[in-house]
Amino acid sequence: MSAMKIALVLAVALLALVSVAEAGVSFKSLNSSRTLTVQAKIQATNVTSGQAHVGTDHLVISWALNSSFDGTGKDARYVNVKIKLCYAPVSQTDRGWRKTKDDLEKDKTCSKGITQQKYVSTGNTTTWRITKDVPGAVYFVRVYAVDAVGTELAFGQTTDKTKTTNLIEIVPISGRHVSIDIAAAVFSVFSVGSLMGFLSLEAIKQRKANSKAGHFFRAAFTDIIRGHSVLREIKIIKSKC
Amino acid sequence: MAPQGENRTDADLTGEPGSSLHGVTGHEVFPYINMDTVPEEATDLKGRKFSLPVDSEHKAKKLKIYSFARPHMLTFHLSWISFMTCFFSTFAAPPLLPIIRDNLGLTKTNIAHAGVASVSGSIISRLLMGTICDLFGPRYGCAILIMATAPAVFCMSIVSTVDGFILVRFFISFALATFVSCQFWMSSMFNGQIVGLANGLAAGWGNAGGGITQLVMPLVYDLIAKNIGADNFTAWRLAFFLPGCMHIVMGLIVLAIGQDLPDGNYSSLKRSGDKVTDTFFKVLQYGVTNYRTWIFTITYGYCLGVELTVDNIIAQYFYDRFDINLTIAGTIGSTVGLMNIISRPAGGMISDMAARRFGMRGRLWALWTLQTIGGVLCIGLGLLGSLGPSVVVLVIFSIFMEAACGATFGIIPFISRRSLGVISGAVGAGGNVGSILTQVLFFSNQSYSMEKGIMLMGVMAIACTAVLFLVYFPQWGGMLCPPSKATEEDYYGGEWNEAERAKNLHRNSLKFAENSRSERGPSRQEQTSDSAPTTRV
Repeated sequence: MSAMKIALVLAVALLALVSVAEAGVSFKSLNSSRTLTVQAKIQATNVTSGQAHVGTDHLVISWALNSSFDGTGKDARYVNVKIKLCYAPVSQTDRGWRKTKDDLEKDKTCSKGITQQKYVSTGNTTTWRITKDVPGAVYFVRVYAVDAVGTELAFGQTTDKTKTTNLIEIVPISGRHVSIDIAAAVFSVFSVGSLMGFLSLEAIKQRKANSKAGHFFRAAFTDIIRGHSVLREIKIIKSKC
Repeated sequence: MAPQGENRTDADLTGEPGSSLHGVTGHEVFPYINMDTVPEEATDLKGRKFSLPVDSEHKAKKLKIYSFARPHMLTFHLSWISFMTCFFSTFAAPPLLPIIRDNLGLTKTNIAHAGVASVSGSIISRLLMGTICDLFGPRYGCAILIMATAPAVFCMSIVSTVDGFILVRFFISFALATFVSCQFWMSSMFNGQIVGLANGLAAGWGNAGGGITQLVMPLVYDLIAKNIGADNFTAWRLAFFLPGCMHIVMGLIVLAIGQDLPDGNYSSLKRSGDKVTDTFFKVLQYGVTNYRTWIFTITYGYCLGVELTVDNIIAQYFYDRFDINLTIAGTIGSTVGLMNIISRPAGGMISDMAARRFGMRGRLWALWTLQTIGGVLCIGLGLLGSLGPSVVVLVIFSIFMEAACGATFGIIPFISRRSLGVISGAVGAGGNVGSILTQVLFFSNQSYSMEKGIMLMGVMAIACTAVLFLVYFPQWGGMLCPPSKATEEDYYGGEWNEAERAKNLHRNSLKFAENSRSERGPSRQEQTSDSAPTTRV
């Protein structure tokens, strides 16, 4: 092969390497590795879909290797599992910051991590109290099986491929407190009140100054007029002389 | 005090429309009364000494930035700090949007609407503020506005719906009218030859509030969320008490120690108010029918408008596109506003330097160049995909855009003498309209990603700046056309009709015309010796 062709092949290989090194695992590549079964229940009502309240309700998440994969050796490299809370499509519309992307490094669907556990083929359960920073939205739970480095090898999720079944709606806190409301009201009233107070004080002072000045100016003005007319008379008399 | 008859001083002119921003030029040699320098130990009407050299109107002739001496330098600091406070609170929400959007369940469309709302309130308030300053004085105008918008800032802490959020951002934006009171106050306190610099510094440092807020609000939020341990969704609400309290404090300080004029407050100086109602419509007419007003409204719309839009979207853009944390995104976003500290006064100075060499044509070319380069850099920002270069381009872009804003106000004082207040208010409001238009067109619908929106914004900025080629001053020329034989007196005198000229109501325009001859540029200055002013009073 000519030197040019070798160089071209090397360049392409280098570029391929770089592009592979930068990107994360492609979610589509995991499609064949949906080897885990996951179930999430809202503890209070013991149902797999419905409303859960932040701060008070718990999610009981149980995962295990799908029985159809038992003994196939597919789970040989699984070291840990990462359990994540993911947005359902209905909560992703018009919100680019929750967009689903194939590159798992850039994917923002499952931005809330729940916990991480060691992988065992018989599976495990975890109970998670929904933390107060979880926004109000519709969710499902996904579990990634990862290797020692953290690269995703397989996954499982509580919902189907179209992400429309078994969805959990989480009701958030508003963040408001009565004390904040009261403080805001007090400060606002203080602001407007002190402004009104200042303005009325100055208006009163002004009126006092004006009434004194009014008399003064009126007297001065009449003096000036009289003075002018006297001067004019003197001029007329002078011109006549 | 003023002698009777022809010699009217500034104090008599206060209240007359168009007097709002009289004195706002970099070059105006004092048109109203003689320019005798008053000795250093000048005293005001009450006998107090001035610490700066003043002219015969008691306006300062020097700017000592480190001084807080009454009344001039204190006024300078009060007005830029109160303007900065208003910018701070208007743009306090964007750096915290990643938290707020989760708390309130906002969508991209909601956020865009809120961004539009946050610059629309000030359109109306800027238009009104000029008149309010004329009637009641800049001290009252500034203090009333800043204390009346404080409740809106506190309301941000208690919003829980999308509509509430949008409404609150709308009401807070009324505060941006302090721009007009700030500029008005500067021109009441500083002599015509340095008022350009004073205005540029005050406006630039005030605009920097938009940048300071992007740094400070995430820090305050972190402090409350991590150190005090409040929930995320409560912490951001508490953070808003900072701008609210700043409003109250500044309002009280302005009322307590502020002063309208070097000699005292409006209420203690005699004024005639009838003139306002008499000629208000005339002033409006001459402002509105001058086509240059609208050209500069469009160009300022894509100069300040772009800056306001970027203030609103940039922290979110970096947070979402490059996956960096909130505080760092806020820091990067803040550089845009902070660049104002130097770039806006620099733009004013560049305009002045161009005028010294080429007259008004130089000013126009300087403005076009700065703004077009800004537009090109904006396109570049939208096209770049990596963090480092994006930050560098962002910083350079903001320098050019803000310098263009400063350069715009080097030209505005020359468009009209009679309708100066109205034109300044209209151009200022135009900046906000440009921001609204941009946010609605490019950042509120789903079809454009944020980077595409930024790129298109740059394209539109370049296109709208091109209308500058249409500006033509008969006495000075335009960008492409040389001047005609018309004189400055023809141009400024032409704003008065026959009847008014017969009564010599246009005498101040004529004085201004004589002083604006410097805009001819050095090559035509020799012609000024022929036309000795006949109306010197």
